[in-house]
Amino acid sequence: MAEAGRRPQPLRTDPQDRDPGAPHRLNLPDFCAARAVLAVVLIVTLTAIVLTVARQTSALRFWLDLARTSLFLLWTGLGSAAVLCLLRQRLAAMALAAASAIALLGVLAVIAVVSVAVLWLGSSALLGPRAANLLQPESPWRFLGANLGIGVIVGGLALRYFYVTGEWRRNVELQARARVHALQARIRPHFLFNSMNTIASLTRSDPARAEEAVEDLADLFRANLNEQRSSITLKEELEVARIYQRIEQLRLGERLQVVWDVADLPMRALVPGLLMQPLLENAIYHGVEPRAAGGIVTVSGALDGDTIGLTVRNPLPEAGDAAHSGNRIALANIRERLELLYPGRSSVEANRLGDEYIVRLRFPYVQDTARTLAL
Amino acid sequence: MTQRVLIVDDELPARERLRRLLAGLGDCAVCAEAATGQECLRLAGELHPDVVLMDVRMPGMTGLEAARHLALLPAPPAVVFTTAYDAHALEAFEAQAIGYLLKPVRAEKLAAALQRAARLAGPQLARLAAVDPARAVRTHVAARLGEQVRLIPVPEIYYFAADQKYTTVRHQHGSDLIEDPLRALEDEFAAQFLRVHRNALVNIGRLTAIERDAAGQYHVVLRGLDERLAVSRRLAGELRERFHL
Repeated sequence: MAEAGRRPQPLRTDPQDRDPGAPHRLNLPDFCAARAVLAVVLIVTLTAIVLTVARQTSALRFWLDLARTSLFLLWTGLGSAAVLCLLRQRLAAMALAAASAIALLGVLAVIAVVSVAVLWLGSSALLGPRAANLLQPESPWRFLGANLGIGVIVGGLALRYFYVTGEWRRNVELQARARVHALQARIRPHFLFNSMNTIASLTRSDPARAEEAVEDLADLFRANLNEQRSSITLKEELEVARIYQRIEQLRLGERLQVVWDVADLPMRALVPGLLMQPLLENAIYHGVEPRAAGGIVTVSGALDGDTIGLTVRNPLPEAGDAAHSGNRIALANIRERLELLYPGRSSVEANRLGDEYIVRLRFPYVQDTARTLAL
Repeated sequence: MTQRVLIVDDELPARERLRRLLAGLGDCAVCAEAATGQECLRLAGELHPDVVLMDVRMPGMTGLEAARHLALLPAPPAVVFTTAYDAHALEAFEAQAIGYLLKPVRAEKLAAALQRAARLAGPQLARLAAVDPARAVRTHVAARLGEQVRLIPVPEIYYFAADQKYTTVRHQHGSDLIEDPLRALEDEFAAQFLRVHRNALVNIGRLTAIERDAAGQYHVVLRGLDERLAVSRRLAGELRERFHL
């Protein structure tokens, strides 16, 4: 065998960029695009009209006021768009708070520059006395201060708006992907038909066990079909995983051993449904079934402060091919559903370590208050 | 005439069920059960069954590979594949007109399959394996040995050498002749074996050094083997670079 080429290496996890499961970022529209620039011009003109109307000046001064306000706002708006267009890539790579602060500072800098330019034009004789009179505010410092103040408020509101719509879009995308992946990650047909075959065999040789197996299979499929209940208690989820193990045990006999080390886990913790069962299914399908001698799957968990850590380990198949597409789909699906339930506070890692394949989940401990009474 | 059937499946409940169904059919008798492909080959060589009911997905050697090795027996049994669910294999069975049964197997379908069961030819099985590239690479090569088939695990092989009509397999327990042409072996085991000479493929995992003798001829040293194999001058440099020898 080519040992040199088979050295165990950490598996490549999904790329984090463009992944809705990535940490929260500032999601600005693309201000370099013509559509966004047109929108800026429209919004600026409308704002200028609103501001001018609000001043309730005489009919003659109205048009002059409008011209000067919209001129000022156009420069500010287009300047800000240009700055944000230049900064966009760098902002996207930064943490949310830093990116927001820098975007806001950029806009304020544009306002300051335009204001100073207005003051300078007003005091110079470049445009003649009539224009200078129009552009000359009563107090330069009040003019600058007021503009910056308006900039902070409006800029802050706009950033908040972009953040909320970005989050909303991200959430919609996540839900759609989770739904698609949930369909793909349904219980393998291979498992269904093999279980049916086992049951067909047991109906004659051991009817009592056959009956149990049918009940277990029914419970398992009920859990799988239950799409509405996006979250259940850890206790319920572990029970589904144990049912799954019981069915596989009938088929694989002594070849399958599962070690459960989950006594320290808070059983009322809220988890997405089908969190553990697909991991156990993968561990058995890829780690135990292809091995003639079978293998041990270890499920362990611990509460670390207010974070729950769950680990599933299985031996690597003898042939050495670990990450099948079915496995990646299941992991992506679990990652997305944990992210939906605990945005930005969960992680899913899969690694090859020595001759083992290890999947680690981390998510916050949130008690299921709705069903605490029922437990 | 009573058909003698060998059941091959890694799962005990699956074997039990087939045994019970066969008992109800009459005109056939189970001569043995095997849980792996290797066991199936040993038993088939000893017991000469008429039909082998072969599970497709088994740990280690798959049913498809075991069937390829079975075809080397002097009087190979007919093979009927059984599978719970395997889209790849089903497509291939249909294409090659090879009999298969879906688990859980129905008694009447089993009876019909046994009646129609036919011997499979080697090339037919090779084409079958080629449908799914992931499973086209065998875990063993097989040498004909009188009534039996000797299985040689691929990792235990030092080299293959072309030898007129046959190919010599030099392995940890001696050497055997197989019928696979060197060209086909080179394609199948491209990830594990390398051509070092016009007529030799060596196991990459066993390459340890390249030596040059007084006459200027290069040789490869293989871990666990005293024998040296000639390497063409052109390949010697390439091998040194690629494997840091």
